[in-house]
Amino acid sequence: MLWRILIFVWLSVWMVVALLFAPQVPVLHETTRVLYFHIPAAWIAVLALGWGMLHSVLYLVKRDLNHDDQAAAAAELGVLFTVVATVSGSLWAKRMWGSYWNWDPRETSIFFVLILYIAYLALRGSIEGDEKRARLSAIYSAIAFVAVPFLMFVVPRMYEGLHPDPIINNRGKVDMDPLIRICFFMMLIGFTALYFWLQTLRVRVTRLERRRELARGI
Amino acid sequence: MSASSLRIAGVEIAHRFGPRVAVRPVSFDVSAPGVAAVTGENGSGKSTLLRILCGLLRPSRGQCVFEVDGRAVEPRRRRLFTGLATPELSFYEEFSAAENLAFAAETRGLPNPTSAVRLALERVGLTPRADDRVSAFSSGMKQRLRLAFAILHEPPVIMLDEPGSHLDDAGRAVVEHIVQTYGPKSLVLIATNEPREMALAERRIELSGRGLERTA
Amino acid sequence: MPNGGSNSAVAVWSVLRKECRTEWRTRYGLNAALLFAVASLTAVSFAAGRLGNRTDIMAALFWIVLLFATLASMSHAFVREVEARTMLLLRLVATPTEIAVGKLLFNLLFLLVIEAVTVPLFMVLMGAPPVRWGQFLAVLGLGTVSLAASSTLVGAVIAQTRGRGALFAGVSLPLLLPVLAAAVGGTREMWAANSVAPSLKLLGAYAVALLAASLLLYDHLWED
Repeated sequence: MLWRILIFVWLSVWMVVALLFAPQVPVLHETTRVLYFHIPAAWIAVLALGWGMLHSVLYLVKRDLNHDDQAAAAAELGVLFTVVATVSGSLWAKRMWGSYWNWDPRETSIFFVLILYIAYLALRGSIEGDEKRARLSAIYSAIAFVAVPFLMFVVPRMYEGLHPDPIINNRGKVDMDPLIRICFFMMLIGFTALYFWLQTLRVRVTRLERRRELARGI
Repeated sequence: MSASSLRIAGVEIAHRFGPRVAVRPVSFDVSAPGVAAVTGENGSGKSTLLRILCGLLRPSRGQCVFEVDGRAVEPRRRRLFTGLATPELSFYEEFSAAENLAFAAETRGLPNPTSAVRLALERVGLTPRADDRVSAFSSGMKQRLRLAFAILHEPPVIMLDEPGSHLDDAGRAVVEHIVQTYGPKSLVLIATNEPREMALAERRIELSGRGLERTA
Repeated sequence: MPNGGSNSAVAVWSVLRKECRTEWRTRYGLNAALLFAVASLTAVSFAAGRLGNRTDIMAALFWIVLLFATLASMSHAFVREVEARTMLLLRLVATPTEIAVGKLLFNLLFLLVIEAVTVPLFMVLMGAPPVRWGQFLAVLGLGTVSLAASSTLVGAVIAQTRGRGALFAGVSLPLLLPVLAAAVGGTREMWAANSVAPSLKLLGAYAVALLAASLLLYDHLWED
């Protein structure tokens, strides 16, 4: 409860500061604002992917269904944040590059992440039995883990890049306004907290569902 | 057959498939040589228990001890010491009986597959039909083939799940003969509710499942 | 050990021979796959017409045909066992890894047969310019290993789901996209007379990564 309020206040305050007080980046103009939720959402999409895969591997090692609950929750939330990142990015791309979709490296990566999540969830949906579902989907998650570096870094680089690197990279050279930077990192922290809060909620729901199932069975 | 000592014990073994209870907690301790019957109503989990004992299935709860010569055998290696004949076992329909057994013998790495296959087929009375494809087999003949599969590698544990199903009198005699042959040197587990088969066993593992009874 | 200590190489070889014999006797798997490959090849060739010097498009079409043939047929090896309910027999005579490696080798052979038919047919139907065979076969070979490795693991998983083969294509696709990208790239460079080394490195690294992960994961495939 406390967390919920804290995250809500934090995100609201920094969103207001970001939208009202932070300056615009020269080329991006008004679209600068997408920065404050598009990139954090994309970051969560990748974080959830890593979190899910970590717990999949842990499940195979320890055979504890709690790890599977974590992996499943991460995938469901991952889809949510991936869609947020993709849609906001796509709208922005229409404004800046003239079309919604360009197979730019980052667009390609996020597209891979999305189909990976969808395939994983489709697989989960078609397996009966908790242990079996946990085991088989963990196997898939683990093999996908091998594919991820290729999908996210190697293959997308084979296409031409359009993304505004300097702003995302903060290589230091290109001046990013201090206030923009602060707002951006505060949003990043806020989104991360939001994700982990949602994650614990989802896992709790799964556990309650399982307990109800068991109670009904005996 | 070597004179290896063998012991199988269960400590509060229980299993459930999701919300459905398959095996209620059961404890027992049996060792070779000997014949033990696993009994219980339909649905009390006799087949599931056998799958757990031979390492195919991880029990939800409890401990399963499987020792050969005093050393514990991990679940994955138990199949090497076990011959399992269960109604769930199907064979390749496009192969003959002999080819199916030869595949099993070769994959298991038996030193002399051909003679092992010949001997097993002889024991269950399938020699005349050895080269017929399994797709042409009656259910009784398939049951005999399952028995042959179980004894093919001369295992120290033989698990027979409903061994008399589909069998005629001659077939039941084959079951009895197998139990009498292997009982004195190996451990034979028979999952059954048939009085005639239960009589072959000197020990009993009783499953207390509620069977078909609907539980709230 | 009294019961014939299982020798993995013997078991793998035995599973592979069994697969080949089953395929030879029933033949519906290979026939269906060949028919599908030839049908999609015909459709592509018919729809695209003669592409002449557009070797970049040709490279893409070639791998799409091969990818589709894989997606359409490669779940077969495990689905067949599940449908015939022979998985129990198999699990009793071999370890999960031995079974999966045997199937992997069979899937490799299966793909090679499909390629032996589709490659010459593709070159003739599409009017492809001369091929530099050494480079082309290297790309094809490494791509094939990745296709087979991915299909074997996903096929084993998918055969245990409710829909059996139904999800195979969808679930395989994310794993096969790197293969598609690198193999198309390599084939294009081969025709453009550029170096295929970067594509080969990528394909090789991916094949090795998939095989290594598979060998670790095979052990968990069957437990109930």
